[in-house]
Amino acid sequence: MKISHNWLKEYIPVRLKPSQLAEDLSMIGLEVEGFEELAAKYQGFVVAQVLERTKHPHADRLSVCKVNVGNEDLQIVCGAPNVDAGQKVVVGLVGATVPRNQHDSDGRPFVLSQVSIRGVQSSGMICSEYELAVGDDANGILVLNPKAKPGTPFAKHLGLSDVVYSMEITANRGDWLSHIGVARELQVIMDAKASLPASLIKESKTPVGKHATIKIIDAAKCRRYVSRVVRNVKVGPSPKWLQDRLMAIGLRPINNIVDITNYVLMETGQPLHAFDYDTLERHTIVVKCAKDGEKFTTLDGKERTLRADTLMICDAEKPIAIAGVMGGANTEISERTTNVLIESANFDPSSIRKTSKYLGLSTDASQRFERGVDMEMSLYAANRAAELLQKLAGGEVLKGAIDVYPRKLQPAKISLRVSRTNAVLGTSFTQNEIVSFLKRLELKVAKRTRDSITFIVPSFRYDLVEEIDLIEEVARAYGYDKIETKTRTTIDFTKPLNTGSLQESLRDYFIGAGFNEMLTYSLQDKAKGLMTGERAVEVLNPVSAEASVLRTSLIPGALTVVKHNRAHGLNDLRLFEIGNVFALKGEKPTDDLADFLEDERILMVMSGSVVPQQYGSEHRGVDFFDLKGEVQALLSKFCLDKYRFISYDTAGALIESALAVEINGTYAGLLGKVGKSISERFDIDDAIFVCEMRVSALVGRRTAEKKLTPLPRFPSVDRDLAFVVDSVVQHETVERTIREAGGTLLANVVLFDLYQGDQVGAGKKSLAYSLEFQPLDRTLTDREIDAEVNRIVQRVEEACKAKLRAT
Amino acid sequence: MNARISEARASFQTALEKAQTDADLDQVRVQFLSRSGAIANLFEEMRSLPVAEKPALGKLLNVLKFEAQAAFDEKKRTLDASTVRGSDTVDLTLPGRPRPVGTKHPLMQTIDDIKRIFVSMGFSVATGPEIETDYYNFGALNFPADHPARDMQDTFFISKDILLRTHTSPVQIRTMEKQNPPVREIMPGRVYRNEAISARSLVSFYQIEGLYVDQGVTFSDLKGTLVAFARQFYGNDVRFKFRPTFFPFTEPSADMYISCFLCKGKGCRMCKQAGWLEILGSGMVHPHVLKNVGYDTEKYTGFAFGMGIERTASLRYGVDDLRLYYENDVRFLKQF
Repeated sequence: MKISHNWLKEYIPVRLKPSQLAEDLSMIGLEVEGFEELAAKYQGFVVAQVLERTKHPHADRLSVCKVNVGNEDLQIVCGAPNVDAGQKVVVGLVGATVPRNQHDSDGRPFVLSQVSIRGVQSSGMICSEYELAVGDDANGILVLNPKAKPGTPFAKHLGLSDVVYSMEITANRGDWLSHIGVARELQVIMDAKASLPASLIKESKTPVGKHATIKIIDAAKCRRYVSRVVRNVKVGPSPKWLQDRLMAIGLRPINNIVDITNYVLMETGQPLHAFDYDTLERHTIVVKCAKDGEKFTTLDGKERTLRADTLMICDAEKPIAIAGVMGGANTEISERTTNVLIESANFDPSSIRKTSKYLGLSTDASQRFERGVDMEMSLYAANRAAELLQKLAGGEVLKGAIDVYPRKLQPAKISLRVSRTNAVLGTSFTQNEIVSFLKRLELKVAKRTRDSITFIVPSFRYDLVEEIDLIEEVARAYGYDKIETKTRTTIDFTKPLNTGSLQESLRDYFIGAGFNEMLTYSLQDKAKGLMTGERAVEVLNPVSAEASVLRTSLIPGALTVVKHNRAHGLNDLRLFEIGNVFALKGEKPTDDLADFLEDERILMVMSGSVVPQQYGSEHRGVDFFDLKGEVQALLSKFCLDKYRFISYDTAGALIESALAVEINGTYAGLLGKVGKSISERFDIDDAIFVCEMRVSALVGRRTAEKKLTPLPRFPSVDRDLAFVVDSVVQHETVERTIREAGGTLLANVVLFDLYQGDQVGAGKKSLAYSLEFQPLDRTLTDREIDAEVNRIVQRVEEACKAKLRAT
Repeated sequence: MNARISEARASFQTALEKAQTDADLDQVRVQFLSRSGAIANLFEEMRSLPVAEKPALGKLLNVLKFEAQAAFDEKKRTLDASTVRGSDTVDLTLPGRPRPVGTKHPLMQTIDDIKRIFVSMGFSVATGPEIETDYYNFGALNFPADHPARDMQDTFFISKDILLRTHTSPVQIRTMEKQNPPVREIMPGRVYRNEAISARSLVSFYQIEGLYVDQGVTFSDLKGTLVAFARQFYGNDVRFKFRPTFFPFTEPSADMYISCFLCKGKGCRMCKQAGWLEILGSGMVHPHVLKNVGYDTEKYTGFAFGMGIERTASLRYGVDDLRLYYENDVRFLKQF
C-alpha cells in the first residue's frame, strides 16, 4: 500500500519529517517498510533541446544529435525514429540511473555511461516515457511541451515534491488502506485531529429517484448500496494535480471519471464504480447472485465464468459488474459517456473473498471489501465523487442520493475493565489514563463505573469487537516500549524436570561417533516417494513437482546428498539424519488424521574409506560389517543388548543384502547396501551402506532402570577353538550352539578369525572363537574347563557338522 | 675377594662409560648384570667362602649390584633420550591419525541453544505432528474461516481437512488440551509454506514456539522473558524494541527487534541499513484460544512467541542462501 505524504496533509497537519513519521507509525503497528522521495528517482535527468540531428555515418537507424542541456551542449546517439531538431526532450546524463530498460525483458534499471556507438561518442541518452517510467510508450522518445526550459531538472519539470511511503498493512486493519485511515492513526502520535473535507455539491432540481432505481435482492451479501447520478459530464483527461496524486501512489491516470473514483477510493477506502448510465437497461440496478456457469466479460476484456454464489450487479436485463471485484465491459465509461451512475456500496467480506479467490482476480476494490469497509462511508464517498465530477467534468448532479441500507449499523459498544487491562499488560493505568489513550483513536466514552468504562466504537474500527481488542489499543497508544520489562522465572518442581530427549542423546552419540548431521527436505518428487513401496502422502497443491510428495523414507533424500557430495569429490561420508517419514494407512487420503502415519526415523549413511586418507594406515573401503558394527555400538549404547539381527529379503530394490533389526521382539529397521538400480538413478557407482531405524523402537530402552552387576572376584579363563564347517553354515548358528552348550560359566564368545582356502579345502571355512569362562564363586580347575570345552566341541560338531581344527 | 669386587666395579664403570649404542649397552648388561654376568659370578664365588666372611662381603656385593644397576638404568635413560632427540628415525612432526569428527547440523545447534536457555528458565519441550488438521492449525488458533488472515499462511493441503502445518502453534493447542496451567513449553519442529524455493524462502523450515500460561502472566512478563532470552542468545549489550503487529492467536501481538549485533545498530547489509533485526513474533494468548482448550480465561493469561530457525541461524552464522542448509555439502556441515 502506497501513501502520499502531500495527500495526508489534506486531512491532518503533518509536521513530522518522513523518517520520523515512518518510525513512529511503525512503532504503533502500521509498518512503514520504506519511503521514496519522488524527485530522487530523476537525479541526473534534465530537460534538453535538440539543436541538430544528423544521420549516423555507420548506422541507418541511428541519429547523432547535438542537444543543449542548459549549461552545455552534448553529443548523443539516438535510435528513436521520432527525434528531431527543435524538440524539447528529457536527457539522462552520464551516471544517471534509467528507471526502466526497454531492452531488458524485466525492464530492470541501468546506469548510463559514456559510450561509443558504432564509432560515435554518446554522452547520455534521450529517453522514452517507458524508460522514464512515466508511461508505457517505448516506440519513441518523450517529446515535452515546447515551453519547457532546457536545464530544468526533470523532477522539477514534473512538479515532483512528494514523498511516498510503502506500508505493510496487517490483515486486521482494512481501515488503513486509505489516506484518511492513515491520517486517523497519526492522531495517536501527533497532537492533531484528522478529518475529511466536507463535500459541497450544487444539486440540480431533478430528484434522482425519478431517474434510477436500486434493488437489493441478496441483502446478506450487499449490506448497503448508495448511488448518485451525474448528467452531462465531459469525459477527458484529469487535471495535473489529480494525475500527480494517482501517479505518486502508482496508479495510471485514465480519464477524469475513472480517476475520480480511484481518487475517492484512495482517500476514503470506499471502492466506487462509475457506470455509463445510458447503457443501463431501464436505469435500474439489481444486486443478486449469478446463475451457475453464467459467462460475463469484465472490463479487462476477459470472459469469466460465474458461480451461483457470485454476487453480481445487474441492470433490468443483464449483469453489469461482479460486485466488489470488477465492472463489466458492457457498461464501462467511454469517451462517448455523458451520464454517469456512481455506485458506493458495501459488500459482505467473505462473499467477496470467495469470489476473488475462485476467479483469481484481486483488485483494489476486492482487497478492501475482503478486509471490510466502513459501513458509514458509503454516502460520503458517493457525495465526494459527485462533487468532484461536478468540479472536474462539469456534470449536473441530480438531487439526492439513493441509499438502500436494509439494516443500519448500530454503533458498537465495548466495556473495558481497568483491572483486567492492568492484569493483561502488567501496568497500573488509571481509568482516566485509559480514556485519554482511547480518545485519540476516536473512541467515545458512553458510561463509566468504578472499574469499567463502556466505549462507543467508531464505525471504521469494525475490527474492535471485545475487551481484549481495546486492551491492545491501550497498549499501542501508550507504547509497547514503555511497558515495564519484568522477568519472572518460577520453575515448576511438581513436574519432572526436563533432562533432555532421546533425540538429543542420539545426536550427541552420533557426533561422538564421527557422523555429520544432515537435514533433508521432507517434500520430494513422486519417484523418490514411491521408492519404498509405501503409499506416499501427496500434496494437493504442490508448488512444484520436485516438492509434491512427503518422504516415506530418509534414504532417497540421503542419496541426493551423497550424489551432491560425490559430484564435488567428497566420497568419504559418514552422515546421519533424524526426521519424520510419512505414509497413508489406507488407499486414499481421508479427512481423519488417524489415517496418516508419521514416524520418526534415524538414518546412518556410510561410504568411501573407513578412515580418512592418512599415512601409516592402509586404505580400506567401508563394507557392510563396518556399518553393522556401528549399528551394534549404537544399539548396545541405547538398548542394553536386547536386540538381534534377522536376515531379510526386501521386496523393494531400495536395499539389497539387508538385515532387519529387532529390538525387544519388535521390528526396528533395516540395514544394508543401497540397491544397484537405485544407486544408478542417483549416478552413484560406489557402494553406499545405510541403516534406517525407528526412533520409537529405542524409546524407553535407554532409561530402563540400571542395576549393577557385581564385578567378578575370581579370574576368568580363555580358550580358543577353531571349527571347520561347510561354507553355508552361518556364524550365528555356530555361536548360538556354543553359547547354548556353554552353560552359566561361559561368559563371552568372540569370533576372532575367519578363513577360507587351501588349508581347509573347497566348500569349507574355518571359524575361530575365543571363549571366556567366568566363575562367580571359585577358581576354575583345568579339569572343569576341559569338561566344558569338550561338551561345547561335541555339540558344535553334531549340530553344525563341524570338525575341530586346533585348540 | 675385596680386590676382585673393586676390580669388577672399575671395569663395569669403564665399560658403561664406553657404551654408545643400545647394542653396547646390552653387552654391558650381559657381561656384568645378567644371570651369568660378572656380579652374579662373584655372588656364586662367595657361597664357597667361610661363613664368617659372608656377611661383610655379601653387603659389599649387594652395594655393588645395586649401584651398578642404578648406573646402568641411568645410562640407558640418557642413551634412549639422546637417540630420540638426536637421530632421524622418528619424526614427531608427522601428523596424528585422527578419527572422523562428527558435527551437529547448524539448524539443530541453533534449536538446542534456544531450547537450553528456555529450559533453564523452567520450560519443558513438547512436539506435535507435521501432518495436522485444519482445526489445530487454524480453527483452534482463532483463524476465522474465510478470513484474510489465512492468506498469511499459504498452506499445503492433503485433503479437505488435513494439511501440512504452517507453524508450530498447533502444538500449543495439543499441549494445553493435555494439561492444566501452569503450562510452560518450548516447541520446536518443521513447518511448511506453499512458497517458491529460492535463496530466501523454502517450502519447509524449522520454527520454535514458546508458551507460558498461568495466573498473573502479563505482557510485561512477555517482554522480560524474551529480553532475557535475547541477551543470553545474542549478547548482553543488545538493545531491543517491541512493535505492535497482528496474529490471530495473540492479542496484544508484538514483533521483537534487537539492535543489529553486527553493526551495533549503525546500519549494515545484514540489517538492511535499519540498525534493527526482527527476531521473533509474540503476544498475549488470545482469550478465544484459551477458551478453545477449556481454560478459564478470567483466571489464566499467558504469552506465546515463535521464531524461524533458518533465519536465526543465518543471522548467527552469516549464511545467505537458505538452500545450503538442505544441500548438506560436508564442507558446509564440517564447519559447525
